[in-house]
Amino acid sequence: MATTAVELVIESVTRTRQVDRLRELWAFREVVLAFAERNIRLKYKQAVLGVGWAVLQPLIFLGVFVVVFGRMANVSGGATSYPAFALAALVPWFFVQTSVSFGAQALLMDGALLRKIYFPRETPVLGAVLSSGLDFAVGFALLLGLEPFLGGHLSWYVLMAIPLWLVLAVLTAGVSLLLGALNVYYRDFRYVLPVGLQLWMFASPVAYPLSTVRAQWRNLYVALNPAAGLLDGFRRALAEGRMPDLHLLAASTVAACVIAYVGYWVFKRMEPGFADVV
Amino acid sequence: MSWAVRFDNVSKRYPGNNWGYPSLRGDLSRLGRSAAAWLTRRRTEPEGPIALQDISFEVKEGESFALIGPNGAGKTTTLKMLTRISFPSQGRIHVRGRIGALIEVGSGIHPELTGRENIWLYGRIMGMSKPDIARRFDEIVEFAELGHVLDRPVKRYSSGMQLRLGFSIASHIDPDIFVVDEALAVGDAGFQSKCVERMMRLVTEGRTLLFVSHHLQAVEAICKRGIFLLNGRIEAAGSVPDILKSYIAWIDNRQQERWSKIGADNPSGQIVIDRITFHDASGAERTAFRTGEDIEVRLAVRSSRPIVRPNFAVGIGDGRPGALIVCSMAVDGQVPEVIDGPSVVSCRMRGLPLMPRVYQAWCGVRGTHGYGFLLGWQMVGTFRVTEGPTNMTGVSAVSNLSTDAPIHVDHDWDVATGANAMAPALGVEERTR
Repeated sequence: MATTAVELVIESVTRTRQVDRLRELWAFREVVLAFAERNIRLKYKQAVLGVGWAVLQPLIFLGVFVVVFGRMANVSGGATSYPAFALAALVPWFFVQTSVSFGAQALLMDGALLRKIYFPRETPVLGAVLSSGLDFAVGFALLLGLEPFLGGHLSWYVLMAIPLWLVLAVLTAGVSLLLGALNVYYRDFRYVLPVGLQLWMFASPVAYPLSTVRAQWRNLYVALNPAAGLLDGFRRALAEGRMPDLHLLAASTVAACVIAYVGYWVFKRMEPGFADVV
Repeated sequence: MSWAVRFDNVSKRYPGNNWGYPSLRGDLSRLGRSAAAWLTRRRTEPEGPIALQDISFEVKEGESFALIGPNGAGKTTTLKMLTRISFPSQGRIHVRGRIGALIEVGSGIHPELTGRENIWLYGRIMGMSKPDIARRFDEIVEFAELGHVLDRPVKRYSSGMQLRLGFSIASHIDPDIFVVDEALAVGDAGFQSKCVERMMRLVTEGRTLLFVSHHLQAVEAICKRGIFLLNGRIEAAGSVPDILKSYIAWIDNRQQERWSKIGADNPSGQIVIDRITFHDASGAERTAFRTGEDIEVRLAVRSSRPIVRPNFAVGIGDGRPGALIVCSMAVDGQVPEVIDGPSVVSCRMRGLPLMPRVYQAWCGVRGTHGYGFLLGWQMVGTFRVTEGPTNMTGVSAVSNLSTDAPIHVDHDWDVATGANAMAPALGVEERTR
């Protein structure tokens, strides 16, 4: 039985290498999936509209954007109509918003489990990000159905949404881990988070095109805010039927990976104390 | 036999001061202070309450090991560090094998989900694979006795049902090292005995068990060795009967202290008790006795005027309502004709049939005719029986002493069983016919 003499040493300073941490996370992938599944089940049970919110949220914002930016501020949709242009960025943006706000709260929501059971603490955060993927899928279906009517051009480039979503998920996972870890120690983040997300949205090309940023600044902008390059990629692929700008996409991917790595590193540094303060 | 768990000088200090939430402000000021200390090359004193101090012990593979002690002694903290939920501030813990924990079972279960969903999700979060759960699903449901409500949300369950579900899932994860914290406080008597059986089976299958409980009989029945924790330190370590004895002695001590603070009040003042002492058969003053020993309760009293035929009564109780023993002059008639000024009243009880624990001595004095109190019935002192009958070898020989009936009589059991058991009875029947 206990013949597998794998010895585990528990001490105050954990000197685990990042590779071993990722290996452990892989061993606990089932737990990530279980958290994701639970979140989805709860979403269906607790909210009357369930996944309907994934459709309503972007639609409501689309209405507001069309009136405020499209009509009043006369923001141009470029190659397409403004509604088609806005929706193609709103759907991925709502993925960022839901996954970061759920991911950053995940550790507090599962405080009871955290105090009782061992699992790598990133699993509930990643589960929350993953479960927001369902909302994205629903929003994506809505988008595919609506774009032709709104004046968007659909082509085979919609398939680019898959790699784009993956990079976006890496980015939101990194941000969620960072904010989630800080959230455990400093509860004020609960109040900062919604405001921060709003600011992030207006700092990203959701309501306006990326072309409003001058060409020479664009790389820096995307490096600082990788969501910008990804949202622009989504817009090109889903509304304009074009290939995303690979140059910007590469910059966003690198930046997203850096943020994810930093987020994971900070999270793992703070992890040992979670159960004591949660 | 090699060890499965080893604690090497482990200490735990909780972060922050006074258990409050950490704040950015507090952390910044602490950062500032430690920076200042670093610049001036001074060491900062660590902050925060200490939960455990320099704990070392070893649990052998396949052993059942107990952690006992009062609330807040550090038992749960110890288990939490073992299960990697919390981390030591100093020292190391070595673990060989997969750990499964039952720390305050049931709180991880989600109220909105059904029992079935919870088994699938909670089971996976606790480390079971999907095929594992599929294989053992029926067993889990059967053990929890929840087959009839499986598709109802858990929030509609009674709290006992929720805890049963939690225990059942957790006890089917098949770890090498099994950690149980207060799980027996849940469920009805039937479920409790089932839990003990389940733990015993895991132990006989060769798993290592670490068991935290206030249920001392369960500890004595299940565990061989253990430690008694007190205020974050190991107060006693070794065989379970030994640590139970020192834990029970500690409990009794506290009990005695608490009781001795209740001073005798005597406002009427016709008779005043100055002192109460307990003596053995040789007359030597003692505070601790053995079961079956003689005990003499000696009262030093004073009366302000001569009192004719005062009916003294001395009683012994163990804290529950009513006395266990009362020796009353009003009943036995051994009344003194008169007492005046300082007097000594002694009551010798022979062969005290009391099991080990703390006892209270009560006293009251009635008037000449047996009614009306010259001294109200009140507790006047405490003494202890520390050693029980010597021939006790049962599974609860140590722990039972502090809970069940306090009166001991010498007794023997005779059990006849099998085909021949009825023979004498049949014989009698034939003769009477």
